[in-house]
Amino acid sequence: MNPLLQLKNVRKDIGSKTIIHDLSLEVFAGEVFGFLGPNGAGKTTTIRMIVGLMDITSGEVLINGIDVAKNFEKAIRYVGAIVENPEMYKFLTGYQNLLHYARMTSGVTKDRIDEVIKLVGLEHRIHDKVKTYSLGMRQRLGLAQALLHRPSLLILDEPTNGLDPAGIREIRDYLRKLAREEGLGIVVSSHLLSEMEMMCDRFAIIQHGKLVTIEAVQELSKQAQKVLWIVDPIEKAAQVVQERFPHYHIQQNGQGIEVDIDYHDIPKLNAALVAEHVQVYGIQVLAKSLEERFLEMTGGNEIV
Amino acid sequence: MSNFFSLIRNENMKIYYRFGTWFMIGLLVLVAVAGAIIVKTSYREPTDWRKEVTAETASFKASLEEGNISKTYKDYLTQQLKINEYRLKHDIKPIASNTFWGYLESSAGMISLVTLFTIIVAAGSVASEFSWGTIKLLLIRPTNRAKILLSKYMAALLFAIGLLVLLFAVSAISGAALFGIETIKEPYLAYQNGEVVEKSMIWYVLQMYALNCADLVMMTTFAFMISTVFRNQSLAIGLATFSLFIGPQITYFLAMKFDWAKYLLFANTNLSQYLDGMPMVEGMTMSFSIMMLLLYFLVFNALAWLIFQKRDIAA
Ligand SMILES: Nc1ncnc2c1ncn2[C@@H]1O[C@H](COP(=O)(O)OP(=O)(O)OP(=O)(O)O)[C@@H](O)[C@H]1O
Ligand SMILES: [Mg+2]
Repeated sequence: MNPLLQLKNVRKDIGSKTIIHDLSLEVFAGEVFGFLGPNGAGKTTTIRMIVGLMDITSGEVLINGIDVAKNFEKAIRYVGAIVENPEMYKFLTGYQNLLHYARMTSGVTKDRIDEVIKLVGLEHRIHDKVKTYSLGMRQRLGLAQALLHRPSLLILDEPTNGLDPAGIREIRDYLRKLAREEGLGIVVSSHLLSEMEMMCDRFAIIQHGKLVTIEAVQELSKQAQKVLWIVDPIEKAAQVVQERFPHYHIQQNGQGIEVDIDYHDIPKLNAALVAEHVQVYGIQVLAKSLEERFLEMTGGNEIV
Repeated sequence: MSNFFSLIRNENMKIYYRFGTWFMIGLLVLVAVAGAIIVKTSYREPTDWRKEVTAETASFKASLEEGNISKTYKDYLTQQLKINEYRLKHDIKPIASNTFWGYLESSAGMISLVTLFTIIVAAGSVASEFSWGTIKLLLIRPTNRAKILLSKYMAALLFAIGLLVLLFAVSAISGAALFGIETIKEPYLAYQNGEVVEKSMIWYVLQMYALNCADLVMMTTFAFMISTVFRNQSLAIGLATFSLFIGPQITYFLAMKFDWAKYLLFANTNLSQYLDGMPMVEGMTMSFSIMMLLLYFLVFNALAWLIFQKRDIAA
């Protein structure tokens, strides 16, 4: 399958400072791709280059195989985006704002505008001036303008910023649906890591403008992790672990023991415990959260 | 092409859905009506227009005899002399300011207000998109930046045309209402090919409007360029209005000392200088000025276009 979005060694210099270092990644149709990084990592800058707001110092951005820098008008047709806050014309109504953007792309009908308004749940306020909108309503209007022309690639810079929990959930479900059912590729940047974990299929972490890792969310549970063993007697179980796997860290608690164990060693340890007549009541994988992974990869909350 | 038409509709929507725009339009109407009322209440009829014209003719003659005047000015005085003689001979009263045509002619002076308002609109059109942050969503559409910039420029010029038509219409209506239209048939005396001819006043008034537009177009373009280059509306309004009101003065002083002053923008924006026979620098002609204006026009637009095309949008 050809990637919908492809970054090839993308680099951005501003003045003498390199803000993005040779970033390469691919996003495919039908997936939600998380774009993570601490403040100032270069997420917004990368997004600006993808949508042609900034020149690319070197490297290439291809959308559906079309080079954005060389063939902007053709490439951008496939893209709907929110870049940072979705600023709108405050003195116009929500509807007029959408009309404004609809006129700039051929083939967006009035019916489509109404459809999108319904999708983002703004029917009741769409004819009010945007200056009377709450942050969440503006965010919804921002999403509406990004969807108007039925893009195949959606790029959203912090789309859940300012939404209430119900709103976040609604948007999350909607984005997943767009990816699953309509085959859109969606790139989402966000700070809400638990959100991203629920929303994304894969994620990239960048820091200081460099790619740190690209992983699938599923893979998170397969990495070295904590496993809680609910056992009796606890003392004996701890002894068995120490004998069989002396390099694993053990911690006792009221219910049993927590072991930092490799995914593939879980069944082996279980067999050993059973062989030693320890009663095993439960094995609970304390999957590493995206947040832990993020902090581990980026070394805490350090800003560039 | 239909795409470009949509872009202009978008720009118009952004201009006319704002309170400030309607405030300016209202102010222009007010000034045009108030001007007529002021003329009506303060105008004093000259006791005898023949006496005044005769006196003027005498002073022209005196100036001509002094000798040390430029050729252009000499030609101008000679023309005026002939026209005055024609007036007295055919009993054609000069157009007074408290007549329909007189007021319409003086309304051409109010075009500087139109210029000011158009500068404000033009200065805001690109800079505001940056300060509102809307530029990001505007430029991620399948439309190239040049087209977007051109649509903004065109919308500002359309706004100016609208204001000009409004100014003309309101002045004509209030002139007709306050001064009557009995004098509407009075001719304008022009000097052509060595003789005085009677022409329709409407052509004269339209000509005055057209000549005053040089300033309008140039300063609008200048403000638009500054606003695009510096993304700052206040700076663009400030620079453009400062130049509009002070530029001609400075240029005038420079022109007294230096010949090269004729290449300055403001030496050329006042095209009616050629009707008064007093060009800023001796030897300047209407076609020279138009060439210079065209040159400045191209430079301003090219600058705006180049910068807008290349710029990284980090707002
Ligand atoms: N116009 C600019 N000139 C110089 N440096 C810039 C410019 N724009 C951004 N930067 C720098 O580039 C880096 C990346 O900024 P960017 O806005 O892309 O970060 P981000 O990952 O989106 O951060 P956040 O999570 O806070 O939104 C920062 O160090 C920032 O200071
Ligand atoms: Mg950002």
